Amino acid sequence: MKWIPKFNSSNYLRVIFIIAIFILLFLSSIAYKHNRDLNESSKLLMHTYEINIELERLISAIKDAETGQRGYMITRNHRFLTPYLFSRDKVNTSFIALKKLTADNPEQKKNLEKIYKLIIQRYISFENCLKYSAPETYDKRKLDNHMFGGRILMENIRFKVDEMNDIEKTFLNKSLKKYDQEISLGPILSISLFLVALIFIFLAYRKISRDLERLKIYNKKLLISSGLMAESEAIGKFSTWQWDLDTDKIDYSDNQFRLLGFLPNSFVPNKDSFINFVHPEDKDIIAASIEGIINNKELPFTYYKIILPNNEIRHFKSTGKLLVDQNGSNILLGINFDITDEHLLNIKLQERNNELEKSNKELASFNHVASHDLQEPLRKIQTFISRISEADKAVLSDSAKEYIIKVETSAKRMRVLIDDLLLFSRTNTTKKEFVKSNLNELLENAKSELAVIIDEKKGNLKVTAKLPKLEVIPYQIEQLFINLIGNSLKYSKPQTAPQITINCEEVLSNEYPEIMEQPFKKFYKITFTDNGMGFDPQFKDNIFVLFQRLHSKTDYPGTGIGLAICKKIVENHKGHIIADSEPGKGSVFTVFLPE
Amino acid sequence: MQKNALHILLADDDEDDRLFFKDAFEEVKVQTKVEFVFDGLQLMEHLMNPDTKLPDILFLDLNMPKKTGKECLIEIKKTEHLKNLIIAIYSTSSSDEDIEDTFIEGANIYIKKPSDFNALKKIINEVITLNWHYHTSGLNRDNFLLSLK
Repeated sequence: MKWIPKFNSSNYLRVIFIIAIFILLFLSSIAYKHNRDLNESSKLLMHTYEINIELERLISAIKDAETGQRGYMITRNHRFLTPYLFSRDKVNTSFIALKKLTADNPEQKKNLEKIYKLIIQRYISFENCLKYSAPETYDKRKLDNHMFGGRILMENIRFKVDEMNDIEKTFLNKSLKKYDQEISLGPILSISLFLVALIFIFLAYRKISRDLERLKIYNKKLLISSGLMAESEAIGKFSTWQWDLDTDKIDYSDNQFRLLGFLPNSFVPNKDSFINFVHPEDKDIIAASIEGIINNKELPFTYYKIILPNNEIRHFKSTGKLLVDQNGSNILLGINFDITDEHLLNIKLQERNNELEKSNKELASFNHVASHDLQEPLRKIQTFISRISEADKAVLSDSAKEYIIKVETSAKRMRVLIDDLLLFSRTNTTKKEFVKSNLNELLENAKSELAVIIDEKKGNLKVTAKLPKLEVIPYQIEQLFINLIGNSLKYSKPQTAPQITINCEEVLSNEYPEIMEQPFKKFYKITFTDNGMGFDPQFKDNIFVLFQRLHSKTDYPGTGIGLAICKKIVENHKGHIIADSEPGKGSVFTVFLPE
Repeated sequence: MQKNALHILLADDDEDDRLFFKDAFEEVKVQTKVEFVFDGLQLMEHLMNPDTKLPDILFLDLNMPKKTGKECLIEIKKTEHLKNLIIAIYSTSSSDEDIEDTFIEGANIYIKKPSDFNALKKIINEVITLNWHYHTSGLNRDNFLLSLK
């Protein structure tokens, strides 16, 4: 499942979003606090300002009273007294306001009380001044005293008012300073935090768009591979299905419908729809295998038949597996193969095999007939001839004697033929036990087997390269050597001592077209070169055919089986044998044996 | 004289072979008494009969009707009073399978029927003069098949 891309960006995105949200929350809480502090400070400012105004009002009301009094004292006109009379109310109003404003500040409250006392004294001094300036009660000295006292009182009031103003101002400055310290986040930091949040959001956006891009590519790939899958299912005659065990939903591939003889998606498959197609003989197998796949999580190859809607019987092979996906749901995946063609081919092959086995059995019984039944009458002919004594022969005519000799020769030849035929068929039918053998030893055995003939013909055998050790059927290779050397000895030139050279070399199969198609790379090429009479090269293939003879049997007795046996033996060893010759000069027999 | 004669029994369905066998024994110098049975069934009946005097050597053909030589061999070797009987397989076949099977079943020697009367005489001479005790104790696959020098 390597090809599934990893989309782990959801975690990545989550982290980015959380960070961005935290930054924004932080920024907004700072802004909120900032705002609140601003509000507080403006309230405070307002408060100071109000106290300031109210105090000024107080002063101006007293001054109004002072001015009015002075005007009256100079002009004695009552009109000038009006501001003086109103000033008391004004002073009271201001006082109430100030009392309210300073309610939370005990120090200011105390100051205010002092001012209050000073103002009362000031009014008392006003009254006294009015009293001693009146013509009826005029007293210059007292008036001067009170006027001067009023002046000092006024200064004291002013002083106190200034003091109060100063206290307010200091308090204001202190508070403002505190706020300034509290809102330590400067605008640059806020902006950079905001920018960081923005960058995070941008990163998230980029990641999303990249994933989308990748998703698009994988989607395309998925589309292509599902198309390929559908195509290969159709060509390969197989189909797939999925069964979600949790939701009980079954999906067939398009070809599954086709293999069942329907158009794709022409019905909605369910648990029982497939079993309905299965041949009644095999329903139990399929039911059991569905049980098995759920229990064992795997379905070994199951073979069964199904019946198509047109009553055609098809042979299926199925396998499946239980998968648990990322979300933990159990999904059965299955593949069905339509193996009808294979099955029919197999049946044909089986029939051929049976035929072959039958013919092999016939061959074996022929073997028995040849070895026993055919030999028996022959043996009797020979025995009866051997019973004709010399005395019997003496009374026979010359031609009768001749005939008896001919019967004897023919019987002998018949025996050789039967023996050779038996040897040939045994080369084919007996057990083929391959044993690692030293071919040099086998060659020595062959030489000693032929010792009499070699001696008789004064033959000379020369081995120019050592033979290898190979996995062979020892007695067959020995037979091969006997036949090839025997052949060379037999067809030697008259009056010339037979000279046979045996050579061996390692070759690669691709250098020789004869052995190119063999599944082995390396071969041993063993050559038997003689100086015999040779043969016409046009017969170089024919000489290996059973009963094919190039010479009359009177010149060279033989059955035409020896080289056919050689070919058979070499074929048993997955090798190859070829012959070549130049008449009058000699022949070369080449044996290729795989390593 | 008759008492000391070597008692030979041949089980063979082939009339000609019985004739060759009889003639060959007549020409052999040793005193012998040759009897014949014609198939496997007759052989087993003969051997199982308590009145029968058991032969010194049984020559057993393999290819016989009703009961083959191999079946007879197995039966004889299973029968207590017969299992020490000296058995010479006397057959046309020289197939490795037949030789191997009869060796395993406990035959004492394997003779391939020769195609020459003189050779037959030689073989018979060889077999009846064989020291069976010595031959049997040293019997192996190589000397089981009788070969004439």
